[in-house]
Amino acid sequence: MEFILNGTPQSIPEGWRDEPLLYLLRAHLGMVGAKFGCGVGLCGACTVIVNGVATRSCITPSESLDGAEVRTIEGLAEDNTLHPVQQAWLDLSVPQCGYCQSGQIMTAVALLEEIPNPTDEEIDAAMDGNLCRCGTYNRIRAAIHRAAEVV
Amino acid sequence: MRRRSFLLGAGGCLVALIGAGAVGYSQVPVIPKRPNPDPASALGWIRFEEGRYTFTLPRAEMGQNIATALKQVACSELEVSWDAVDLSLHDTSLPGVKPTVGSESVQLFAEPLAQACAALRDAVAAGQTTGTIDVNPRPLTDLRVFQAEAFQGPSPTIEQGQEIVTGASLYAADVSRPGMLYGRVLRAPAPTEVASSPTRWDVAAARAISGFVAVAEECGAPIGQAHGLGIVADRPGALDQIADALSVDWAIDGVHPRADVIAAVDVDTTLSDGPLPHSVIDGTPAEGSWDVDLRIDIPLAAHAPIEPRAALAEWDNDRLTVWVGSQDVFYIRDVLTDAYGANASHVHVQSCRVGGGFGGKTICTVEAEAAALARAVGKPVHVQWTRAQEFALAFHRPPSSHRIRARLSGGRITDWDHAQVSSHIMFTSAVLPEWMQAGTDRFAGDGGVARGMDAPYALGNARAAYAPLRLPVHTGPWRGLGAGPNALATESAIDELALAAGADPLAFRLDHVTDARLAACLTRVRDMSKWGAAPAAGGPGVRVGRGVACGIYKGVSYAAAVADVAVNEAGRARVTQIWCVHECGLVINPDQVRAQCEGNLVWSIGMILSDNLPLETGRVTAETFGDAPIPTLTETPPMTIDLLTSDLPPAGAGETGIVVGPGAISNAIRMATGQRLTRFPLDPGQLAT
Repeated sequence: MEFILNGTPQSIPEGWRDEPLLYLLRAHLGMVGAKFGCGVGLCGACTVIVNGVATRSCITPSESLDGAEVRTIEGLAEDNTLHPVQQAWLDLSVPQCGYCQSGQIMTAVALLEEIPNPTDEEIDAAMDGNLCRCGTYNRIRAAIHRAAEVV
Repeated sequence: MRRRSFLLGAGGCLVALIGAGAVGYSQVPVIPKRPNPDPASALGWIRFEEGRYTFTLPRAEMGQNIATALKQVACSELEVSWDAVDLSLHDTSLPGVKPTVGSESVQLFAEPLAQACAALRDAVAAGQTTGTIDVNPRPLTDLRVFQAEAFQGPSPTIEQGQEIVTGASLYAADVSRPGMLYGRVLRAPAPTEVASSPTRWDVAAARAISGFVAVAEECGAPIGQAHGLGIVADRPGALDQIADALSVDWAIDGVHPRADVIAAVDVDTTLSDGPLPHSVIDGTPAEGSWDVDLRIDIPLAAHAPIEPRAALAEWDNDRLTVWVGSQDVFYIRDVLTDAYGANASHVHVQSCRVGGGFGGKTICTVEAEAAALARAVGKPVHVQWTRAQEFALAFHRPPSSHRIRARLSGGRITDWDHAQVSSHIMFTSAVLPEWMQAGTDRFAGDGGVARGMDAPYALGNARAAYAPLRLPVHTGPWRGLGAGPNALATESAIDELALAAGADPLAFRLDHVTDARLAACLTRVRDMSKWGAAPAAGGPGVRVGRGVACGIYKGVSYAAAVADVAVNEAGRARVTQIWCVHECGLVINPDQVRAQCEGNLVWSIGMILSDNLPLETGRVTAETFGDAPIPTLTETPPMTIDLLTSDLPPAGAGETGIVVGPGAISNAIRMATGQRLTRFPLDPGQLAT
């Protein structure tokens, strides 16, 4: 059983197939960008992209990933050049505590791949399930618009 | 008095140290568990070695981006480029500093840091790389940081921003150690202030789960009176399965006398027993009928940081290292040292970036669980609370109940009487032993509950008094402490007074505020929002309104806000625009002061529309964000924020907005619907047409 993780084949060992993808990434593979926030898919901190779709890794069984293409925040930058969404996040100083931002960024990346120049309503529809307790929402919205100009 | 600081040479490096409490503007009291550090407990925050500087941040970084602001101070005073200074987060080898609470980091730490950096700059310029020097703190006018032009340029990229956007390891839950295991401490489904303990569990069933490592009866101190049962696994996903398989039976010692929390926190019932014991304003309002007589009830609410608290503990014989995401690593060190009888130097606590604190990550809970489980199994153990544990076991914003009565004469307030019943904030049952509680309740009151009861107006014959109340659920500091709820209550009453006087609510406030800096905020927000213009129409059946509020936080930070709302036929309210003016003296990083205002305004929306932690017989029943929602992107309106700056000493920005946002929103709903909200969060049914 294996899947493609940020472009590289990755096997899922026997003992980890019961685990949610979030723990496979964090505990088995040591990739800690995706965060545990609620464990039931309600906050979005664990969001990664599976087969092009923003997906809650905390409720995605690893065994369901055979053959899937998974992208995480660790795979966004290319050759030390940040993805436009990452760069927009820095340019507008979006993060406060930062804990939710990996999930926010991955949801935004998936949105922009589907809708290159989203309206505010489309941003609302895509991003509303990604919670941020610090209240960075207006900067998230602005950073998506900024990244859309570049993507 | 000449204060000393030192440049210490050791291995060719140069360290500047300065006493934290020795310099600074005003010493505002904080949680009294640790006094201000004295000059003898010097701090080494800035270090020069082989041409580079290392800045050890003496505060917790939890999203206020204080690492960025204080590094700006350091670079400015050292006269070096941003890249010449490396950031390091502190651990308990740093001489103890105050917990990171109360929006004090720039207020209390910028000047000592600047003094240390100025001394270091001069020593390095003089060719010194080792040795000891005396530092005479210089007048503020000689520090670059305190010159008006010091921070005119664009804000730098935030510290740790690159790591955040690339998913690098930053938080306590991200730390990994060889052989690390995963732990959890199970506790009874009971209020934390009702004694409970495990009586029976099925080890055999748990052992059958792949990944099971151990059940540990020794799992750290109880949380409140809730004794736990520890479990350890070699993969995190096994913990839920082990918890289920164990099917623990719990002994729960009856029902708390205030199990019905909502009924218990009732200001009128308490007032019927006589005057409230603790006074904030001690005037004597005249008897008689009132022009405004308002009851406001504000419920229990969670901090709800997206990062559930986490810790990793590792023992090496009698030496303990714990990685934490805490607002106070020294308190954790002291608690664990006490728990294990170890010498303090044998307990080492390393701070990590905190994934949201808001006052809630100030005590020792998950850290003690991790330490106990790591000791039990002899391997490093990682513990991160589940979301349900965050709701059930953490302390929360206390529920409070307010009665405000006031009288007018000739358009001015002549009498004011604010009574409040609230559970504790400073002297919380979450840390205060039971034997001390009666004493503090009787003699000390609770400064956190009192915060902000001194409304910033000429109130005539005014009284403000409160009674603290012990509850089955833990309460404590939450962004702004009592200031948010108190201001929501008082700003509601001021609005009702303006209406009763037939006055414009903003003009009425300007007529009654007693502080010129607050008046300046009000005037600015009036102009910025084009106060007096009607809010944008909301379409058929939608009622719109505009409200204002203003306030002062801890006597040092000022704000005013105007909010527009739209309320639909179902009674659902949406905030459509907010204007906010903030003034906190000299500003080091305007962009991040704005960010704090934005966060506070989102919290303000939560205070009116959603914050509420449901309870059943004194036990928090919320387990997910579905049970206790927080504001979302869709609920967040455009915001216009303006900073009034001055060269007055810098103060805090982390909690001012929450003093003004909720009042402005609630007052806007009043204007839109004619109905005064008195019980929060908003129940749409009350406003349905």
